[in-house]
Amino acid sequence: MRLQETIKVLLSSNTGKAGAGFLLLMVVVSIYVVISYPLDFGLRFWNNPVVWADNPKNVPPAWSSIFTDLKRVKHTTLRATEPTEVVPGTGIDTRLYTFNLGYQFDEPPSFTSFALDNITYYSRPPIITLSIARPDGKEILLYRHVVRGPDPGESFPISRYVESPYRVYLSGDDSVLFNIADFARQELGLDIPLSQLRGMVDRIIFGIPAEEGGQDFEVLRGNYTIKAATQVYHPQDSVGEVVFVLGGSIYGVMGTDSLGRDLATGLLFGFPVALVIGLVTAILTTIIGAFMGILSGYKGGKTDTIIQRSCDILANVPLLPILIFLIFILGQKLGLVILILVTFGWPGLTILIRSMVLQYHSSQLVEATRALGASPWRIMFRHIFFQIAPFVLAQMIFFTPAAILAEAGLSFLGLGDPSIPTWGQILESGFRTGAVFAGYWWWVIPPGLLIVLAAMTFVLLTLGMEPVVNPRLRR
Amino acid sequence: MSLIIKLATRGLTLFVVLLVVLLLVVITLGATGFSERMLQATISEELRGLRQSLAQTIRDPAQLEEALSLHHEELISYYHLDKPWSYRLPDLVRRVLTLDLGEARTLRSFEGSSQVSEIVAERLLNTILLVTTASVITAILGLLIGPRLATKVGSRLDRVACLFLAFSYALPSMWVGIFLILAFSFSVNLFPTGGMYSLPPPEGGIERFMDLLWHAVLPIVTLVLVSFGSWTYTIRTMVLNTAQEPFVSVGRAKGLPERMVERRYILRVAAPPIVTSLMLGLAGSLGGAILTETVFNWPGMGRLYYDAILAADESVIVALTFIFTLIYIFARFILEILYLILDPRIRYA
Repeated sequence: MRLQETIKVLLSSNTGKAGAGFLLLMVVVSIYVVISYPLDFGLRFWNNPVVWADNPKNVPPAWSSIFTDLKRVKHTTLRATEPTEVVPGTGIDTRLYTFNLGYQFDEPPSFTSFALDNITYYSRPPIITLSIARPDGKEILLYRHVVRGPDPGESFPISRYVESPYRVYLSGDDSVLFNIADFARQELGLDIPLSQLRGMVDRIIFGIPAEEGGQDFEVLRGNYTIKAATQVYHPQDSVGEVVFVLGGSIYGVMGTDSLGRDLATGLLFGFPVALVIGLVTAILTTIIGAFMGILSGYKGGKTDTIIQRSCDILANVPLLPILIFLIFILGQKLGLVILILVTFGWPGLTILIRSMVLQYHSSQLVEATRALGASPWRIMFRHIFFQIAPFVLAQMIFFTPAAILAEAGLSFLGLGDPSIPTWGQILESGFRTGAVFAGYWWWVIPPGLLIVLAAMTFVLLTLGMEPVVNPRLRR
Repeated sequence: MSLIIKLATRGLTLFVVLLVVLLLVVITLGATGFSERMLQATISEELRGLRQSLAQTIRDPAQLEEALSLHHEELISYYHLDKPWSYRLPDLVRRVLTLDLGEARTLRSFEGSSQVSEIVAERLLNTILLVTTASVITAILGLLIGPRLATKVGSRLDRVACLFLAFSYALPSMWVGIFLILAFSFSVNLFPTGGMYSLPPPEGGIERFMDLLWHAVLPIVTLVLVSFGSWTYTIRTMVLNTAQEPFVSVGRAKGLPERMVERRYILRVAAPPIVTSLMLGLAGSLGGAILTETVFNWPGMGRLYYDAILAADESVIVALTFIFTLIYIFARFILEILYLILDPRIRYA
């Protein structure tokens, strides 16, 4: 049967159509990921906590808020590279970076943070003061920072925070805590012990006491102005970027995990990886399996016995325990996983192919070609192979989900390749850190669903291939 | 006679499988230097004990060190650490076979022992309990549903059912477990999230058993859900293939009741290939058990695998790999016997 014909039969059934549709979807997403993601995504981004520091931890996807009446905090990052206003002074210029924030949410932010990037100065180190003006007219001084002075032997201009930004986690910073305590005492008349104040910082900044003198805060909605005032002592001094982050209680399309990683990016990266694992394993398994099967069935004799005995042994090895053992000892590498899956996978196919080849061995077609003087290799791989080709193709598709599921299982046991994030690994990190028992469904449900989708794609294709392999089922 | 030969051949093949796995394990351990590290850990453990007992009698520190280093060398030659790793292979094979793998690094048995063999042994039964129960339920469900679908092949029911069975094949067991926990213990609080007994376990035989049952529901449902699909689909296909044979038509033509045709003519003949497919699915269900136990914190060998990986405890992993292969081969052999009983062609050949 020709390829076009095969595809036509495949697409004539609904299962085949659905499978082909899913496959197309996976391929399109994979191509997008391969083009737009860096190759070292796993090490440089996914498993690098610095990249995700400014993201809220363990928050559900943005769309999940439609299920609650609560207006949840949208994750907001405010950046400025140029000052909004420059106030000249005598020898000291004050550059003001202001952000306007309309706060209309029903809860305080999950955290606030502040960052400075790439500061250069020519005389005295700049001083940065961060404050926030609230809708009720009160202003809170949050944080003051003096850029580190010149080290001995260092000459001007001095650059700071070039490689990584200077970052303050305002919600947990001690000096912010003292400033908030002062604010509570002077402006609200509340004397809250520091130990209690810790963890209340954002609630106080973005709230007012629910009742006079009480320590319960409710959200104060309205326009806030965040001001970062930079005092510089030299006109050429420069500040690369000022960043203020309002930590959301919802994030992105798929939410975040306990490191603040944007799950959507990780899940997307899983598409090409799953395809590669499934297809490479399946193709290699099929090539070896078909080759050995045809050889075993056609040659017979000693070759047959040797191949069949090795198949008996290799096909009987319990896969997952061996996989766990070998990967644990030899190292967590994806290539090794594929190699092991192929090593123990091909015999199953060889046994099947051999029994099919035996039927063709004595067929008139083979007899005729042999009479024409064709060499055994030509008969095996030009004539017999093309007789069983649709079956081999169906088997190849059938092997694909097994490989994807095996890798997912292995990753789930903590033996995934750390340089290549997969769906199984995302599931594992969710399980290991207790996301299941905390109810963080957005972390553990989607990766599993995608594994099901990937496996289901190939299962549907296998079902659609049935009429190709078994012509009696053709309609 | 041919029955015994057949059985002996299968038994021999399975024995060779065990041997191959064993060799793979010990050679990997030897060639990567893991066995050396394991032995060194044993030696330093012994030396630490010796130092404490010697310190009672030998007061002079220099003399103590000398005695210890002497003993160290003795131990090194005793364990053949001064020879290349291939020399130690037979001994390593013996140690794996007898599970004489020393002490686990951090894992302990429920009674507090750190002997690898004891840690593994007490969990063996829990795994067998879970896997056997789930397998029996799956087998019964498949035998009830599979033939029903085969008689209605091509109907809408059959097509929808096949899609569901395919879906079941595509399910990763750990995710099904997580899903069930989220649905039935986190949101509804109907079943426990894991473990085998409540803490503290209830007294009394019946109550204890009910508690066990209550904890086992979700893991068993998980295992059944993931293995039931391919199993039922196989039965359906096998029954379907047999039902198209001429002798079935003959049976019908003789006017035999349909139930009898189904049982004696179709199911009986389809039984051996069904057992064969059960054999092929065995490795998969063991793998599923490892993952399911991990999710539900079921104190079996599968969960031990996960704990050993987290604790990087190679002795426990070696022991588990060996025991899992052993269980697998044992189960395979039982199925081989079953196959021989079911297939009269071999008996009368």
